[in-house]
Formats: sequence, structure tokens, C-alpha cells
Amino acid sequence: MILVSPADFSVADQIAALRQRTAGDAGALVSFTGYVRDYAQGQGTQSLYLEHYPGMCENEILSICQEAAARWSVLDYTVVHRVGELPLSEQIVLVAVASAHRGEAFRACEYIIDALKTRAPFWKRETLSDGQKFWVQQRESDTEKTEQWRNGEGEPA
Amino acid sequence: MNGTTLDVLYFARVAELTGVREESWPLAAPIAASAWLRELEARYPRLAPVSRLKLAVNQQHSPHDRVLQPGDEVAVFDPVTGG
Repeated sequence: MILVSPADFSVADQIAALRQRTAGDAGALVSFTGYVRDYAQGQGTQSLYLEHYPGMCENEILSICQEAAARWSVLDYTVVHRVGELPLSEQIVLVAVASAHRGEAFRACEYIIDALKTRAPFWKRETLSDGQKFWVQQRESDTEKTEQWRNGEGEPA
Repeated sequence: MNGTTLDVLYFARVAELTGVREESWPLAAPIAASAWLRELEARYPRLAPVSRLKLAVNQQHSPHDRVLQPGDEVAVFDPVTGG
């Protein structure tokens, strides 16, 4: 299940629904939740505005999830990503993956969030407490992380 | 797809710099994306350097050596920052 929406979400409800969809087969469920934090440390982040490319965004997330499902034994997954104005400490994103075994669930979940950060067309604009606004720049560490997955790194031998 | 224009979309900081989010760009014949980006920079000098901008053609990430066809939907944006 993939959802891009301004609406807040319940992690507990989403995990319960994924658990129900995979009941009996899933031995493991791993989830990641991302929140709005104080990005520019000490400068007082007040909120983030999330812009996206409707259509391409959902399709790109779907491709990423299908890649993860082909690479590891994923039974089912949930990705929820919010857009619009999000105040400090709000939830931004949830990735949850159900699998027979924990190792595959952990790796698929991390792969999905890493790939989402460098491929899904979202852009963050940060507003500081003094009213100053700026577009967040992509972190080199995020692109390097995605590159590692491509090279087959990030997996235990 | 066919036509005589590109359907161009701008997002985030790029849309702020162009002042529009979408426009029809006359295009009679196929053109390399890199050559089209130079035309884009001529129209919107504040986008320079265009070499670091990202493109999606028909909603797929595309390299700058790709050929754009009349009728294509071309999106122009900065490296993405979701998650």
C-alpha cells in the first residue's frame, strides 16, 4: 500500500493493517518512521513544507518497493508519505515491510527509505523561527547510501 | 505521443526562479535535453548552472543526454529531498 497525502497517519493502525494482510505468513515486520526535526541545528526549525510531483511520486515509490520485493522475500509493504506544511516533530514518512524472516524485512525496509530519499520526487522547504525560508539540499551521504545498495554493499556476507 | 510542444513542469526552488509551474514550450523537432537546457537557461538565467538540475521525461528520471520529443512531458527540478 502506497499513500502520498497531507493527512497525518497512525503508525499503529498502518502496522496492524499490514500485519493483518500478511497474518500466518509473516514472521517479521520492520518499520521506519521519519519526523520533522531541527534540521539547521540551533537555528530553530519551525516547520517543513513538502512539495511533490503527483503521479511520478507514487510510481517511483512503487518501483522502489517492487525492486525491494524482487531482491528480498517481501510479503507486503506500506509506504505513507505526507506533503504540505508539517510543523516540528510531526510525522513525515512511514515505511513498513512484512517478511518471513527479520533479516529480509530489515534490509528491504532500509533499502526502500534510502532509495526514496534519492529518487522519489519530493522537495523540502524549511521555515526557521525567524521566518527565513530555504529549500533543503540533498545530502551527499544519502546518495552514497543509495550507491552502496546498487553495488551490493549494505548486505551481510 | 506527438505534438509541436513540450509540456514543461517546474518544481520547488526551480518553480520559484521561473515564476511559473507549467508552460508549453514550442518544439518542432527532437532535441538533446542538454541543448534544450541551454535554451532554458537563456530564458531563465537565474537557473544557471543548469548542469546540476534534474530532469524527468514522461515521469521517469532521465539523463541529460536523452533526446526530447515534441509531446513529451518534461519536469525540471533540484535533487530530491523527501523522506
